[in-house]
Amino acid sequence: MAKKTVLLATALVFIFVVSTGVVNAQSARDYISIVGSSTVYPFATVVAEQFGKTTRYKTPKIESTGSGGGLKLFCAGVGVEHPDITNASRRIKKSELEKCQSNGVTEIVEVKIGYDGIVLANSNRAKPMKLSRKDIFLALAKEVPDPKGGEKLVANPYRTWKDVNPSLPNIRIEVLGPPPTSGTRDAFVELAMESGAKKFDWLAALRKKDKKAFKAVAHTLREDGAYIEAGENDNLIVQKLDANPNAVGIFGFSFLDQNTDKIQGSYVDGVQPSFDAIASGDYPLSRPLFFYVKKAHIGVIPGMEGYLAEFTSEKAWGPDGYLADKGMIPMPDAERYKYRADVAKLRVLTALK
Amino acid sequence: MNKADLIRAEEKKTPKRTIDVVRAGLAKRYRAEGRFKLYGLGAIIISLLCLAILFISIVGKGYPAFQQTFIQLEVFFDPAVLGQENLSSANFPGLVKKTLRNMFPDVKGRSDKRALYQLVSTGAAFQLREMILKDPGLVGKTVSVWVPADDDVDMLMKGHFDRKMSESGGRLNNKQLAWIDELSRQGKIEKRFNTIFFTSGDSREPELAGIGGAASGTVLTLVVTLILSFPIGVAAAVYLEEFASKNRWTDLIEVNVNNLAAVPSIVFGLLGLGVFLNFFGLPRSAPLVGGLVLTLMTLPIIIIASRAALQSVPPSIREGALGVGASKMQMVMHHVLPLALPGMLTGTIIGMARALGETAPLLMIGMVAFIVDIPTGFTDPSTVLPVQIYLWADSPERAFVERTSAAIIVLLAFLIIMNAAAIILRKKFERRW
Amino acid sequence: MSPTTLFAALLMLSAAAFYFGRQRAFAIAGKAGGTRHLHSRPTYYGLLTALWCGIPALLIFVLWLGFEDKIITNLVIADLPNAIRHLPENRLNLVVNDIKNLVTGNIVAAEVDATMQAGAAHYRSLQATSNAALAVVALSLGIVGAVGVRSRISRTLRARNLVEQVIKYILIACSCIAILTTIGIVLSVLYEALRFFKAIPITDFLFGLKWSPQMAIRADQVGSSGAFGAIPVFLGTLLISAIAMAVAVPVGLMSAIYLAEYANRRFRDVAKPLLEILAGIPTVVYGFFAAITVAPFIRNSGSVLGLEVSSESALAAGLVMGIMIIPFVSSLSDDVINAVPQALRDGAYSLGATRSEAIKQVVLPAALPGIVGSVLLAVSRAIGETMIVVMAAGLAANLTLNPFKTVTTVTVQIVTLLVGDQEFDSPKTLAAFALGLVLFIVTLFLNVIALKVVRKYREQYE
Repeated sequence: MAKKTVLLATALVFIFVVSTGVVNAQSARDYISIVGSSTVYPFATVVAEQFGKTTRYKTPKIESTGSGGGLKLFCAGVGVEHPDITNASRRIKKSELEKCQSNGVTEIVEVKIGYDGIVLANSNRAKPMKLSRKDIFLALAKEVPDPKGGEKLVANPYRTWKDVNPSLPNIRIEVLGPPPTSGTRDAFVELAMESGAKKFDWLAALRKKDKKAFKAVAHTLREDGAYIEAGENDNLIVQKLDANPNAVGIFGFSFLDQNTDKIQGSYVDGVQPSFDAIASGDYPLSRPLFFYVKKAHIGVIPGMEGYLAEFTSEKAWGPDGYLADKGMIPMPDAERYKYRADVAKLRVLTALK
Repeated sequence: MNKADLIRAEEKKTPKRTIDVVRAGLAKRYRAEGRFKLYGLGAIIISLLCLAILFISIVGKGYPAFQQTFIQLEVFFDPAVLGQENLSSANFPGLVKKTLRNMFPDVKGRSDKRALYQLVSTGAAFQLREMILKDPGLVGKTVSVWVPADDDVDMLMKGHFDRKMSESGGRLNNKQLAWIDELSRQGKIEKRFNTIFFTSGDSREPELAGIGGAASGTVLTLVVTLILSFPIGVAAAVYLEEFASKNRWTDLIEVNVNNLAAVPSIVFGLLGLGVFLNFFGLPRSAPLVGGLVLTLMTLPIIIIASRAALQSVPPSIREGALGVGASKMQMVMHHVLPLALPGMLTGTIIGMARALGETAPLLMIGMVAFIVDIPTGFTDPSTVLPVQIYLWADSPERAFVERTSAAIIVLLAFLIIMNAAAIILRKKFERRW
Repeated sequence: MSPTTLFAALLMLSAAAFYFGRQRAFAIAGKAGGTRHLHSRPTYYGLLTALWCGIPALLIFVLWLGFEDKIITNLVIADLPNAIRHLPENRLNLVVNDIKNLVTGNIVAAEVDATMQAGAAHYRSLQATSNAALAVVALSLGIVGAVGVRSRISRTLRARNLVEQVIKYILIACSCIAILTTIGIVLSVLYEALRFFKAIPITDFLFGLKWSPQMAIRADQVGSSGAFGAIPVFLGTLLISAIAMAVAVPVGLMSAIYLAEYANRRFRDVAKPLLEILAGIPTVVYGFFAAITVAPFIRNSGSVLGLEVSSESALAAGLVMGIMIIPFVSSLSDDVINAVPQALRDGAYSLGATRSEAIKQVVLPAALPGIVGSVLLAVSRAIGETMIVVMAAGLAANLTLNPFKTVTTVTVQIVTLLVGDQEFDSPKTLAAFALGLVLFIVTLFLNVIALKVVRKYREQYE
């Protein structure tokens, strides 16, 4: 009796396994699969919706995984089960490009879509903060130069913003920022933390001598609770800032632009983040936004060229386009023409210049 | 000896009567009794109060979402703007912008014009496109169309925004407020029943976002769950209750089933992720996988409820069947099962109601992407209503808070209906043996 | 013939087999002088025929379809031009995907060239052949089965026993699924958790005090230190559960006592279903309520009182979770209190006890095992709760017992780690499975103890 039961059970499992083969047979993917940056997500979703509603293709499915997470999934290989496009709020790194090549993703088309500023925002109910990049570095790094002087590093002792810079308010440092999967994090540590660290002469010298050690100092953020990794959901950070006037959030300018009734941007090196300040380059923390496309999937997954055409059309990414309405800073004319031509030709990224 | 000593001596001589001792403490005891009863009543009142606060706060936030502000536009379907070929990709946004400019001819300047265009939702262009595609004969004619207003305008009309907010703080500047007032004077702006909310899928724009996609996904997922869990659950319960010999194995199975009913739902999500997605390679975000995970979750509940229903059938019924010569299987199928069926159905409905409200396991299997199209098949990417609520809850726009609450109202309405059906069924078929 | 039509045809064939089998049984019965001369009732002969017709055919149907796709795909690939055939595997499967889309009439990617058309045509023809062959095989198998059994129908054929055997096997198979589920959970979670423990030693995980799992995901990136000490996370779970129980147990127990002892019938009929509603509300609704209404309220009251309350305090999440758990404690305790024999109460009353004294000193101690059991089940529910804490509690692992601060729980971490980066080789994603394993074991433990406690002490008062 027991033997028969066991036999029956195994037969059942076998049948189940086989029937999944039936399911797999029917599911051939007919929609575009996009992953990647949470900063580019609001823009990509708007383009996707437009694309889906105005053409006969299905609306692309978009997941917000963070630039790093997205590139990891993207570079895992070519094939139906891998994403077609990944959004990134920073340029692809050499190590990621190598990983792509080694997994067979050899032809990638890089498309720059516009610019975005990284803002440090807090609730409207508090006073706007006037920070310098050096302040940001001292407030957030895990190890900082010894306040007493000398060329050594100590664990970050600063508790309040006033400790960092006497002109700043006396509230506890509480910063909600992106995790390592986020491109905003990478861009932030490069633009803000590195520049802040360079203000210390000996660290600037270290950078020339041993870039890796310098990066370890500048890029490592504190883990004692003053810096909280708040996940890939930037909308949630806006909500938390609204609830907690003492906190500061780090995210892309579009989230500030779309929520000016709740939050305000802090001054960085004397410049307040605004559309024009970022476009002109006055605001120091600005970075380009990209997405990357697998050339191998074009012509095989329905709709990809249409999506690319929609994204690179003037009515989307132009100065009067709907993406600018959402807070993206458009590229200058010459750059737009260049990238549109590259996309039309499907020019492959060969090396990171 | 003084008087006090005399009294004390007196008391020592005659022992106190029990009844006096009891009477002395009686008032205190009655008071304690009253307090205790009050605590009990208070506890119930607190619970019901919390329930009331929950409902009132959510309904209060949500019911405005059932109305949406619409603006009336006199649209001239200008052949020059639309072009001749391929009407489907013509410049409908341009058409909308032109119509607005015609309505407010003295608006000049780029930023002012942009502010004007922002009064109307981006969905207006899609609406016009649908109209033209359905009836291309409209080209060249002027039609009066009611289009959805932008969500900021909607919030203002519903009274959520403080009109006195200055340009920098509010989402609408003074010029826009003036235009909106002008539109109200002309009777071109009004609130109507929000059918968009029920028919369309998710969207980045709050005024175009709806629960149609999520509701459809929920129905598909629950169908899969019901088809799989009801037969298997009932069959397993029948076997375990009637046919299995009472040995260590069946004891283990019973403990096992009871435990499964109490395992946190997120562990089932991990199972779905590890086994269904990774090992079997089923498509992500599909109602099929969601249904499978929910089946595994609902199965223990159905088994337990069915077993209780089977146990409640009295032995006399069974003996009666056996007495006229039925075999055990016949007895179960003909006599016991039909009588236990109402209880099984009740258990199934309750299990389905629980599955309807589950979010965590479905997050794990990927039903958390931005999906606009309404799913039609079991392998289309989709989301379910609770997950849609979770996704919208993160959006800070005021209009999304309203819609999230409205979606919760719809979900709660479904649950109340299902639970009421279960209770009615139970009451109707409850038999006193 | 398409698979769906074939399936329908097989069902109809089985129905026909049932009919014919039954007819034959009646015919034989007629010759023998009545159905009572047959071994089983005629329906069973019909069922036997139907089963022997349907089951083998359906088995072939499922197995054939399961392997059909692979075989056809391989054949189509073999016929494609050399250039495409020698593409690396993943490029090839993209081409195949496109061909399949073309076949089903779905929207295709781009211009359809001759090779695609040829491939699609080939696929279609192969599929047609396969479907036809399957139809022939399945139907003929069904017919053979039906005819074979029908010819065997006789007075002494023990149809009922055979049919009941088959049904019994089906029932057993269904019961096995319940066990398979548990095995599946244990295996899948255990497997990934073991992979995690290969990278991070188990003592570090269970006893470490720092939780920063957001490790660098690239070689040249600098992330957190990758500390996986889970104590702050466990502590967060315990803190929020403790607050929840502090709310739920008194309120739930007192509600149960009132409903069981004091309330009259009408009150009970109204109040009990209302309390049950609290249990039926989806937890995502509670989470939304906690995040939007309760947390700001607590924060504002806190600042009015001069306390520094985080906007994601453990108090807000714990409070709402407590409200959710009230009906669990209440209804389980209600059942237990009702089960205490009336004789015990009557004995107390006859000695002059007031009602509350009878409850406090006689009924509650009698019902105590059951109440303890229900409290343990409620604790297990609180520990495993996900959505309320995801929406109302925080993400920072704080090692604190202060209810006004923000803490994170096991379930929040599982969700955060797995929604997003999905690579199954980094300790980060595997940590979620390790946490899941701990959660499963703890809730299992609590449930087993609850059951044991209830069972063991129940006897003493009967």
